[in-house]
Amino acid sequence: MNRLLSGLFWISLCLILAFITLPLLVVVAASLSPSSMVTFSPADWTMKWYAALWASKWLDPFILSVKIAVIVSLVSGVLGALGAYAVAYEKCPGSEAIMAFLLSPLAVPQIVKGVAIVLFLSSAGLYTLLGTPGLIAGHIVLTLPFAARMIATSIYNFDKNLDRAAQILGASKWQRVRHILLPLIKPGLFSGMTFAFIISFNNIPLSVFLVRPGQTTLPITVINYMEYSLDPVLAAVNVASLIFILTTIFLFEKLGGFSAQIHGGSK
Amino acid sequence: MTIVATDSPAAPALRRFALRGYVPLFPPFAVLLLFFAVPIGMMIGISFQDPKTAQFSLGSYQRFLTDGLIIAGLFRTILMSGLVAICVTVMAYPVAYFLARSTSRWRAIVFALAIAPELAGVVLRTYGWLIILEDRGFVNDALIWLGLVSSPLPLAKNLFGVVVGLTHVVLPFGILALLTSIQGIDPNIEKAAQILGASRLSVIRHILLPLSIPGTVSSLLISFTMAASAYATPALLGGARFKVLATMISEQIMFYINWPMAAVMAIVLLVLMLAITFAGGRVETRLHKKLNV
Repeated sequence: MNRLLSGLFWISLCLILAFITLPLLVVVAASLSPSSMVTFSPADWTMKWYAALWASKWLDPFILSVKIAVIVSLVSGVLGALGAYAVAYEKCPGSEAIMAFLLSPLAVPQIVKGVAIVLFLSSAGLYTLLGTPGLIAGHIVLTLPFAARMIATSIYNFDKNLDRAAQILGASKWQRVRHILLPLIKPGLFSGMTFAFIISFNNIPLSVFLVRPGQTTLPITVINYMEYSLDPVLAAVNVASLIFILTTIFLFEKLGGFSAQIHGGSK
Repeated sequence: MTIVATDSPAAPALRRFALRGYVPLFPPFAVLLLFFAVPIGMMIGISFQDPKTAQFSLGSYQRFLTDGLIIAGLFRTILMSGLVAICVTVMAYPVAYFLARSTSRWRAIVFALAIAPELAGVVLRTYGWLIILEDRGFVNDALIWLGLVSSPLPLAKNLFGVVVGLTHVVLPFGILALLTSIQGIDPNIEKAAQILGASRLSVIRHILLPLSIPGTVSSLLISFTMAASAYATPALLGGARFKVLATMISEQIMFYINWPMAAVMAIVLLVLMLAITFAGGRVETRLHKKLNV
C-alpha cells in the first residue's frame, strides 16, 4: 500500500513536470529553428534569432521592464510587510477588515484595474503619469496583496512561543521584531517579493492600458510585434527573458529566500 | 471638550498606543486608496453614464441583463475559472509537497521547472500550446499516426484549450501558495505518526491534508481569480467564438469604445470575485484560528 502510494506520487510528479515543460520545449525549439516551421533536429538549428535581439528595439523595452519590476518588487515587499505586521502580528482592532482591504485588489481582475486606472488618470487630468509612473503604481496595486498575503501567512505560521519567550526574558518590541519576527518571516517576504518581480515583469492585462510610445514594456512590445509578424524572433525574446528571470530567482533564493531552512539558534 | 478628556493622565498614553498600531498601515493604505479605490469608484460612476450623452442612465446595466450573448459569456467565465482552479490545485499539491520536504539535489531543479513557465510570458506559452493542440499540432498528428482518430480532435479554440492553457499559466502560483503552507507544517508531526505505525495514507488523510487546508484554499482562490482575470490566453487559445468577460471588456474598450458598457461588465466581474474572495477569506481566518494552538 505504501509502495503503491509513493509510486503514484512519483508518476504524477513526473507527469505534472512534463506538462509544465512541454510548451517551453516547443518554444525553445521554435526559437532555434531556421524558419517558422518548428524543427527538433539540432543539426538545423541556428542562433540568428538571438543575434537579432541585440537592438534597441528589444533592449530598450527590456531595460524598462527590469527597472519597473525592481522598483515594484522592493516597494511591495516593504508595503506588504508593514501591512502584514499590523494585521497578523500586532492584530490591531479591525485587522480582519484591514486585511480584506489589503487583499481587495486580488479580487479585481487585472483588466478591470487597468481600465479603472487609465480612466482615473484621464479624468483627473494626469495623462503625464501614463508610462513609467503609471506602470509602477499599477503594478504595485497588483502585487501588494500577494506580498501581504504571503508575509501574513508566514506570520500566522510562526511559533508565537518564541516571541513570548523573548518577551519574558526582557526583549524590547524592536529587538523581538528584529531578531525573531524578521528572520522567521524571511521566506514569506522573499517569496512575496519574487512574486511581485515576476508578475510585474510579465504583466500584460494591466500594462496594455498604461504604456505610452517610447515607454513600452517588453511583453507589450512583443504583443504589438505579433500583430504584423509571427517570426521566431518572438520565441527568442521570450527564451532570453526566461533565462534572465531564472537568474533573478536564483539570486533571490541565494539571498535567503523561500527554500531557506529555519534553524533556531544553530550557533 | 476633547482637550479636557486627553488631559487625564491615562488618556494620552492610551491614545498613542492605539495609534501606533495603525501607523505601519498608512503607506500601503495610501497607495491602495489613490491607485485602486479611487479609480474603481470613478469606474462605478462611469457605468451609470449614457455612452453617448454622458448623462445618468441605467441603460448599460439593462443591456447586460437582457443580452443573451453577454450572459453566456458570464457563465463561460465561471465554468472556465472553476475548472482551472481545481486542475491547478490538484496538480500543484504533489509538486509543492516534494519541494517542501525534499532535501535532494533534484529539489532545485524541480523548483526551477515549476516556476519556469511563469517566466516565459503568457503569449509565448499560449503560442506553444497552439503548436501542440491545433488541428495540425503534435497531439493530433500523433493520434492520427497511431490510428486512434481519423480526423483531428478539436483541442484548441474551445473550452478545453483555454483550460489547458490557463492551468499552465496559473500552476506556479498554486505551487507557491501550497508550498508556503506545507513548509509551515512541522515535518516531525508526520515522522511521529509514521514511527507510531501510521500508514502513508493515514498520514496524508489525518495530518497533511487537514493541516494544509489554508494553503489549498489560498491556491483555489488565487487560481480562480487569476483565471477570471486572464485575457491573453482566452483570446488566443479560445478563438473568436470562445468569449469570456475579460475579452468582452477589452472588446468594448478597443473596438466599440463603449466605456459605460465595459464598466458594467467589469463591475459584474468584480462583484463575482468579491463574493468569492469574501467567502474564502472567512474560511481561511476560521482555519487559522482552529489550527493555531
